[in-house]
Amino acid sequence: MTSVSTTRSTILGTTLLAAALSLPSLQSAYADAAPERGVVSLKYLDYQDSQSVLGNSITDTVSGASSGGSSLSSGYGSQDRIGVHAGSVMALIPVAGVWSVGTTYTSDSVSGASPTYHSSGLTTMKDLRRAVDVQLTRYFSRGRLSLGTGYSSESDYISRVLSLEGSVDTVDKNTRFTLGGSLNDDSINPVSKPTIDEKKEIVSGLIGVTKVMTKQDIIQFNLGYSNGSGYFTDPYKSEDNRPRHRNSMTALARWNHHFDDNGTDGTARLSYRYYLDTFGIRAHTLDAEYVQPLRNGWAVTPLLRLYTQNEADFYLAVSAAEKLDPTRQRVHAAADIYYTEDQRLSAFGALTLGLKVSKQLNQDWLVDVKYERYEQRSEWSVSSGDDKGIAPFSARSIQVGLSRAL
Amino acid sequence: MNKKMLRKSAHHIFLLILLALSGCSIGQAVQPWEKESLARPEMTFEGDQLDTRYTEHIYSSKEGASGGAGVGGGGCGCN
Repeated sequence: MTSVSTTRSTILGTTLLAAALSLPSLQSAYADAAPERGVVSLKYLDYQDSQSVLGNSITDTVSGASSGGSSLSSGYGSQDRIGVHAGSVMALIPVAGVWSVGTTYTSDSVSGASPTYHSSGLTTMKDLRRAVDVQLTRYFSRGRLSLGTGYSSESDYISRVLSLEGSVDTVDKNTRFTLGGSLNDDSINPVSKPTIDEKKEIVSGLIGVTKVMTKQDIIQFNLGYSNGSGYFTDPYKSEDNRPRHRNSMTALARWNHHFDDNGTDGTARLSYRYYLDTFGIRAHTLDAEYVQPLRNGWAVTPLLRLYTQNEADFYLAVSAAEKLDPTRQRVHAAADIYYTEDQRLSAFGALTLGLKVSKQLNQDWLVDVKYERYEQRSEWSVSSGDDKGIAPFSARSIQVGLSRAL
Repeated sequence: MNKKMLRKSAHHIFLLILLALSGCSIGQAVQPWEKESLARPEMTFEGDQLDTRYTEHIYSSKEGASGGAGVGGGGCGCN
């Protein structure tokens, strides 16, 4: 009996040793050790949004070209609004085994027409945004520390950001605690209003826990807080005066599940975010996507996103007069200190459907294409304060990416 | 919504998370050699970073809410 149990324990020992020897590659991928290889990625974005024109709003000052209408907003005419062409390049380089340097450059060309109040009073705009950021990360046996900085510039807006994020793993590396903070310092100088020379400062903090639940499940909870002060008013909107403070809080829960057992080899990715701020906005966001690997390096990822928010405390809905004639813009009451007619601060719900297709060409090269369609409607808000005077808004975007491991 | 309400909500959510995590700890710990599936790129929360950047940028310029996944994103005067 003794010899049998010894043999058993030897077999077990050998199995464990073999498992331990085969470990480093698996562990380094999960445990976030310094990357063994660098990577360079390119991505191009083509984005176009449009808004339905309610039958009586033909008096808008500028009309965009017709987008040909959308299936989701049939019954209305539809006009193109803002279009974006953007290109990004990202590089991540490992240094000396325990460091990595990551950098991203983005150039963003934006043009089209934007409403000055509700979904009416269009004005045309054109701008070029350039942004660059750099992250320096030090990896430790049970954690990492990242320092980042970024700079973004438009003709009327400059944003600078500094961030620090650290994480610590438990000994079994099944739980990770993350703590992060960032500081934004923005300058606002609207082209059409040269007298406005404003600032906006935002201090943000984030605390998070990531936990391996089973060999197929990993979950994450993040809690974020942001404290902003300065100029939050939109200088290009009429009838817009917002508080000089905006504090917000986010709670994010994410869950990834890999289907090992049913033979599909697919991965479901779910996330839910709750957002609330001192403007009075509360929002729910639900994201779901499913990654299905196919033969020869192909993978398809269908995705669904649901979003809903209620209106800001100081949002002024479309008045009866404005509904009949969109040129008769609602004017705030004398007693109103803060007011806005920005549709992004109204109550609405939104739906995104998308599909991403990728192909791993060989060990080094990966290409992907993604198409998304977005629809925003006031009646889809779960709050009761939806503004029926806001026209349905939709967007479509196409992304094309190329990535090479170094 | 005032600051007091915001703080109270934050407190409630934090307690919920603590509760959820303590409940989650029951069960067998996953061993290092069982992490093959977890090591797949699609099982990480980072995902395709350039894709995420574009998407978050678009949503934050068209909706009232933003943030939640990390720190350090740059601002913009988005139309």
